[in-house]
Amino acid sequence: MQRIGPVLSGTVVLIYGFILLPLVVILGVSFNASDRLDFPPTGLSLRWYETLLHQPPFLTALLTVSLPVGVGSAICSTLLGTLAALGLVRYRFPGRDALQAVTLLPLVVPHILLGASLYLWFANLGFSTSIGTLIIGHILIATPYVIRTVAAGLVGLDPFIEEAARDLGAGRLRCFFEVVVPQLRSSLISGAIFALIVSFSDINIALFVSGPETTTLPVYLFSKIQWESDPSVAAASAGQIVIIGLIILLIQQLFRARIGR
Amino acid sequence: MALPSVTTRRTPASWPRPSAGVVLVAPDLIYLTLILLAPLGMMAAHSLYTANSPGMTLANYARLADPYFLRLLGRTARIAFETTAICTILAYPLAYFLARASRGTATLGLVLLLTPLMVSPVVRAFGWMVLLDRQGLVLSLARGLGFTDARPLIYTETAVIIGLVHLLLPYLVLPLTASIERISPMLEEAARNLGAGSFALFRDVILPLSLPGLVSGALLVFVEALSAFVLPALLGGRKVRMIGNEVFDSLLVAFNQAQASTLTVVLVVLTIVTVGAGFGLSRMRGG
Repeated sequence: MQRIGPVLSGTVVLIYGFILLPLVVILGVSFNASDRLDFPPTGLSLRWYETLLHQPPFLTALLTVSLPVGVGSAICSTLLGTLAALGLVRYRFPGRDALQAVTLLPLVVPHILLGASLYLWFANLGFSTSIGTLIIGHILIATPYVIRTVAAGLVGLDPFIEEAARDLGAGRLRCFFEVVVPQLRSSLISGAIFALIVSFSDINIALFVSGPETTTLPVYLFSKIQWESDPSVAAASAGQIVIIGLIILLIQQLFRARIGR
Repeated sequence: MALPSVTTRRTPASWPRPSAGVVLVAPDLIYLTLILLAPLGMMAAHSLYTANSPGMTLANYARLADPYFLRLLGRTARIAFETTAICTILAYPLAYFLARASRGTATLGLVLLLTPLMVSPVVRAFGWMVLLDRQGLVLSLARGLGFTDARPLIYTETAVIIGLVHLLLPYLVLPLTASIERISPMLEEAARNLGAGSFALFRDVILPLSLPGLVSGALLVFVEALSAFVLPALLGGRKVRMIGNEVFDSLLVAFNQAQASTLTVVLVVLTIVTVGAGFGLSRMRGG
């Protein structure tokens, strides 16, 4: 073990301060008693959270757009990504490397450009913005994360277990669902969580493919911050932070319970 | 970016034919063709036409040679470069710490580093807006320290760079940590025993051996910074615009599809050139 000197430790603490500062500020401002964005807060209150509960646009953005879109794109991209990962990791075929590069392309192309080109594409096809166009856009950016997670999980599997199942007479499908899927459970779940979080925090795609009726939470926050920011925006932002935390915790618990069984 | 690959010991005779792999990837490929390749191709085509001439033309590209766009491109490249440089300076101590700390400390450090990644860039930019504003903490701190003529940083290039560094730092720290972890601590001890100070140790051991991680992380940061939109929009205001803001406005405010498409092609080409140059560089070093 290498010793870590006081200068390095001090620098690292400062950098972590830099990383966490804006999030602490958001939380601080959201508990503000005054009408201004004071940090440190001049007095503590929950009034901005209360205001938020009486703001229909916020509730619509969160409950009827962001959450359903997140869940929808997580399900679709987990399906697409798992199939692709299986094909890419388990089989050798000509052009495999090229296909692999194509499947990871959405990670390389700037998201703002994906959003812009989708906007034009949908406009040319005559699609109007809806929950559907949002989900289609989010599947695009979430699937590469699923592919990487599931591919990493597949590599860790012991091929002998599958061989044993096949030798004992299990058909290919049965072997897949009863041997491969249970072993891949943790990768599948973390892939789906990744997808959900990517969708839930995306702004670059949503700005282009969400309409007035389908504003996601980040888009709602973005326009609110640009035009009229009061501490209720901070409360809504804090809400985004808390929801992400809850999703992770909840699924972790669910996952642990399953393993324990 | 390469995925690991494992083939089972079964021969293709007992597993389905190798083309089954293609069948499994096919749904994703069809999806990518319809939702990624076709729209980008359409944009590339749009960039070659103008409203008043019938045939294909490069007029849209010629229009970018205008001082306004040259300033825009220059500013975008400068901000991306400075962001990458600052990220590199901050990433080294952090990555070294994460690579060499005890397991528990390193895990906590990683969680603290990665949690902000899951929060929307909008929210994180908002935090900086509050901090850098006229009544913000940063300005009152600066005034308290005696800089009485300090001005608020919001709506300056510095503000955009601070926000981008905050957003992109983890992308550089992660590959760098992985690279430093692979450097044997014994090598460092040997260097120390031979009389190397901390700086010499960094310059002659850590830096050359962690170069692959540095290159891949720095490329990612640079490319992401080139295409920034939310941060310059919120922290840069009207003054500090980047290509991303121009793409957005020409599409959704000015309804100028040709200009948006042209800028898109320029940005994609810039991205590909950067990534290509970076990979070439790292391959040269490696070989």
